[in-house]
Amino acid sequence: MAGNQPQKPPQSPGGSDGWVAVGYLLSGMAVWGGVGWLIDRWLHLGRVPIAAGVIIGAVGGIYLVMRRFSP
Amino acid sequence: MSKVASVLSLEDPPWPPSVDEFFPPGLFGIDWLTKMMLMVWLAIALIIIFFLIAYRNPKIVPGRMQWLAESIYGFSRDGIAKEVIGHEGVRFAPYLTTLLVFIAVTNMFALIPLLQISPNSHIAFPVMLALITYVLYLYWGVKSHGLGKFLKISLFPPNVPWPMYVLLTPIEFIMVFLMRPFTLSLRLFANMFAGHMMLLVFTLGGFALLNAGGLVAPISVLSWGMTVLLTLFETLVALLQAYVFVLLTSSYLQSSLAEEH
Repeated sequence: MAGNQPQKPPQSPGGSDGWVAVGYLLSGMAVWGGVGWLIDRWLHLGRVPIAAGVIIGAVGGIYLVMRRFSP
Repeated sequence: MSKVASVLSLEDPPWPPSVDEFFPPGLFGIDWLTKMMLMVWLAIALIIIFFLIAYRNPKIVPGRMQWLAESIYGFSRDGIAKEVIGHEGVRFAPYLTTLLVFIAVTNMFALIPLLQISPNSHIAFPVMLALITYVLYLYWGVKSHGLGKFLKISLFPPNVPWPMYVLLTPIEFIMVFLMRPFTLSLRLFANMFAGHMMLLVFTLGGFALLNAGGLVAPISVLSWGMTVLLTLFETLVALLQAYVFVLLTSSYLQSSLAEEH
């Protein structure tokens, strides 16, 4: 389907792009920060896993934003 | 509850304004019959009557009302549905138009004298609207791809080395199934809540300054001046938030219908 028809690329008028980017960043930090928080509650590592999780989640979020908006 | 009455009389304005201002008591002694509910009914009635009258006797050269109704529909069909979703978007144009008009009208209630608050500043109303959109885009995703393929498209971004899925799939899951409806409703609610609160702060703040007397009293003019400016700003926010809600709804529908995103 994608081959024989000039499929219109997902091109929003720009208004929603910012929300998508913010959503990915927040989701990433929330998910992996949450996992870090659970690990911290389990093993009592002095909140290091929370910080690590938030950073890993931000990296994942930034990666998804780049993949979404790079041509 | 006595607070609301004292706001109306303006004898001794409550200060600082609190969340209680958003919960006027039930009318005629009936708890569930609130101002918000009547405003929603009013909005629905106004919209139905407007479109019925506008299209009652359609002409090839439209009259003023028909022109307005056609412009609104044309804007959400061509400017939002076709633009964002593509050719298939036309079938969602009626829903998007209804959503746009309903949110715009209920938001504008925040600026109409005597009404002066938007039903959307109660989170229940935006949540319900977001829920309709949520069900709609999940339904169309599953309908057009089948459940397995829809999950694969939404959770596994293509062209990614496979170990990255461990990192990315939970993020995509939260994004599609939790963050979208959550942010959609919260954005509308928070904008309308904050808008009403700001107007309350500056209006009642003017009275508080005036009552304080002495050298502070003239500053109340500044406070009321801010009220006027913020009212203009609120008009912009009210219409913009209706547009953003509809734009995001169509963007979610687009990602449900697309082959990959």
